Amino acid sequence: MKPGNHIIQAPMEYSLCTGCVSCEMLCGLLHDGCIGPQHNRIFLQPGRIKQMVHKILSCQQCDDHPCYEACPRKDQAMCLDLKTNIAYINESECIGCGKCQKACHFTPSRINLVKSRNKDERKAKKCDLCRDKPDGPQCVKWCPAMCLALSEGPIPWDETKEEQA
Amino acid sequence: MSRNAEEKKSRLYGYAGKILRINLTESTTEVIDSRKYLPEWIGGRALAHRIFWDEVGPGVGAFDPENKLIFTDGPAGGTGIPTGGRAVMCGIGANNLPEQYTSSSIGGWVGTVMKYCGYDAIIIQGRAPKHTYLLIEDEKVSFLDADGIWGMLISEAQEAIFLAHGRDTFSMVIGPAGENLVRDATITTSNDHTLSKAGFGAVFGSKNLKGIAFHGTGSITPYDINKVLELRLKIGDYHHVPNPVTHQTALKSIAYNIPAPDGWDFGKLACSPGCNSRCQRLMMNMKDAFTGEKIAQIEKCVSPMAFTMERDCFMPVGTWVQSPRNPRSMGAQRSWGIPYDENDPDYPVISEMWGGDTTNYWKGDFDKGSMMDQLCKEYGIDKWDFIVWNMTWISMCKKEGLLDDLDFGMEPDPESAEFVRYFIQLIVYRKGPLVTLADGSRRPIGDVFAEHMARAIRLLGKEKYGDSIYHGRYSHILKKNIEIPVSLEAGWGQCTHWHGRGFQGCQKWFWTSNAILHMLNTRDAMSSGHTHLTTDELRTIQKEGICHSPTQIMAIRRTETVAILTDSVPNCEWQSNEMFYPEQNAEQFYAATGEDLTPEQLLMRADRARLVFRAILMRNHGRCRDMEVEDAYPFLTYPDPAGDTVDWEEWNDLVDMYYQSAGYDLATGWPFRSTWEKADLGYMADEMERLGMLPPEGGTPGYVRKECPFEGHVRKKEPAVTGNAG
Repeated sequence: MKPGNHIIQAPMEYSLCTGCVSCEMLCGLLHDGCIGPQHNRIFLQPGRIKQMVHKILSCQQCDDHPCYEACPRKDQAMCLDLKTNIAYINESECIGCGKCQKACHFTPSRINLVKSRNKDERKAKKCDLCRDKPDGPQCVKWCPAMCLALSEGPIPWDETKEEQA
Repeated sequence: MSRNAEEKKSRLYGYAGKILRINLTESTTEVIDSRKYLPEWIGGRALAHRIFWDEVGPGVGAFDPENKLIFTDGPAGGTGIPTGGRAVMCGIGANNLPEQYTSSSIGGWVGTVMKYCGYDAIIIQGRAPKHTYLLIEDEKVSFLDADGIWGMLISEAQEAIFLAHGRDTFSMVIGPAGENLVRDATITTSNDHTLSKAGFGAVFGSKNLKGIAFHGTGSITPYDINKVLELRLKIGDYHHVPNPVTHQTALKSIAYNIPAPDGWDFGKLACSPGCNSRCQRLMMNMKDAFTGEKIAQIEKCVSPMAFTMERDCFMPVGTWVQSPRNPRSMGAQRSWGIPYDENDPDYPVISEMWGGDTTNYWKGDFDKGSMMDQLCKEYGIDKWDFIVWNMTWISMCKKEGLLDDLDFGMEPDPESAEFVRYFIQLIVYRKGPLVTLADGSRRPIGDVFAEHMARAIRLLGKEKYGDSIYHGRYSHILKKNIEIPVSLEAGWGQCTHWHGRGFQGCQKWFWTSNAILHMLNTRDAMSSGHTHLTTDELRTIQKEGICHSPTQIMAIRRTETVAILTDSVPNCEWQSNEMFYPEQNAEQFYAATGEDLTPEQLLMRADRARLVFRAILMRNHGRCRDMEVEDAYPFLTYPDPAGDTVDWEEWNDLVDMYYQSAGYDLATGWPFRSTWEKADLGYMADEMERLGMLPPEGGTPGYVRKECPFEGHVRKKEPAVTGNAG
């Protein structure tokens, strides 16, 4: 089966997000060896207190790659994986300028940024579908509610300017 | 991905590294290096005990600025280790009687986000000069004006903080109950994660503190990532299935079936970051008690009782007793949908349902129950106390005709939604018609109940309003009505919780064990420490005789110590399985910190924290044997569903066995020097000696057990003073 190219959240009739943020935590842990909001490449956007229906947001791997186009170190920091047509970040080359984050079609931006007083530590973080992991995206693998999946469906452009919950 | 020795030495894996002191009076902060206490004092409750011992001496009341609230997380928080996301608060509680040092635990995101801010704990002290909320953004702490959110309900205040500071800023807040110093006020985060049992919401109110918001950008690094992954598979494997929302037309259990006129949707949530369980029931498409809109509510163990309480809460024996072939709690298994091994030869033992009594407190009413739960949550008042104590008291007193002299301003009726709403509001806002108290003074009736039930009953007159017997309790085991007092008070001014009578029917081994744990504590001890046994241990206890069983004492001591670990690593009682996976806490501790301790070594650290807790109770509150034995005893003299009680001698025999096992003097309940020293707490023995609280090794000479000071269920009246008293 052809692998999908962006992470989607299942409808609650199939599986409700439990709010455990395992997706965020395992993302940071398995990419960077630590856990914290600046290490997430996938984000839980908490629902209203009186609803508790949370949204999971991550890069939708847009075909036109605005993040790649915006990168001042294109092909060194932000690169394209020609096999899968996704953009990924080579962090050792990333200067953390934040241009990719701003260029993202989606609101809130699906690209995270490590802010630091130390310039060398400033890095962009973006979902690369765990391209170096043979078993694919770790958020999908470790979500205990199995409410994340890889989709081959169209990019949900109607969500690009969504309001915060 | 283990670390080398150099890396291990250079940093505190699993911890955030700092402790933050917040002085509300001065609007100042101070940062303490966590290494002063960690990893030696584990984190969570153990860490808080040690800090409190160092910093708060005797004579401090709950509402004094000198009271310090210590909010802590443990090393597993923010590491991805399942169950590691809970947090703990400790300090002098407002709802125990007398006020004593106590603790409460909480789920939600706040504990973990506090660690992302860089702190393993925060110490909150002093009193803000005006209504304040704190915004902690990494090292920056802002003391913000809370006038704009003062008076807001729990969810309103959190949404206002989201709006002001972004949806990645997580807060815990008090509602109007805490602002008005209602003694069982909660501190709440998210939909319904609460620090509820200790009345810390009222302590926040006394400090003019509406809430604390955390916005953290830091990170936590666990020591052994592979071990973290292993634990994620080992602990919660059975949850790795979808979590569909399903439509319901009624609220059902073994004991009730309450139709829901408009239906509702049922989902499950995790209680804290990183947990792969989903123990929180989310009731969706419920009617908002304030606006009528559709909302969702998290419902926990006591919540269904709001919907009906015609019969006790009762559970299968296997909720507490496990066998090798059914090693997990049956109650949890049932809610998680894990099949039981019915071919297990112990299945008949663990599947036996304990006898719940019919109590007829109130009939099933879906909308009223939903409203009662939501009002408690939004006003920030402890659901357990309101449902199981306030409302059962109203029901029992009304049926016994005891409310005729109390003017509530409307007819008290537990079946009436209108009255329930009105009664909560009376308490939360300390208002209502004036009532005459036992001492002849007059206060608004809501003001009386805002002092929490134990104090309210005494203000009104305990003999009539506390000790009168309710005649409507029916035992299905004995096939007859049996006695219960109208006020379900179990000790330290706390409501019954698995005491086997009045609310939860259970077997004598269980309620005696829980009563000892309650006696040793300062609050309802069933927070993270219900007694668990193996089926073999249960059989041994029954053979040895419940009040004379060394196995029972072993189980009590194990539960007491494991509960501290559960609140320190932290872990979760329902995801732990100390019977058949006793290494769990140590494995979690190792994965987070790299401290490779055996389960026994880690338990010794927790046991040391238990002794520090004992030391605080002795030094700060004068805790001794007579206080413990006499406080817990009266409620146990009413029959359980099988008609069982303990008498004075049996109860004291059990206490003797516990004290002997723990290394305490029988006469005073105070540890011997050898007991302190065995736990490397020789300096505490010195302090106890200075205070005159160090008994001689071998015990107080000439100790003779005190005669029973109770007659029936109540304390004997002191002989009247005669002659010229001077």
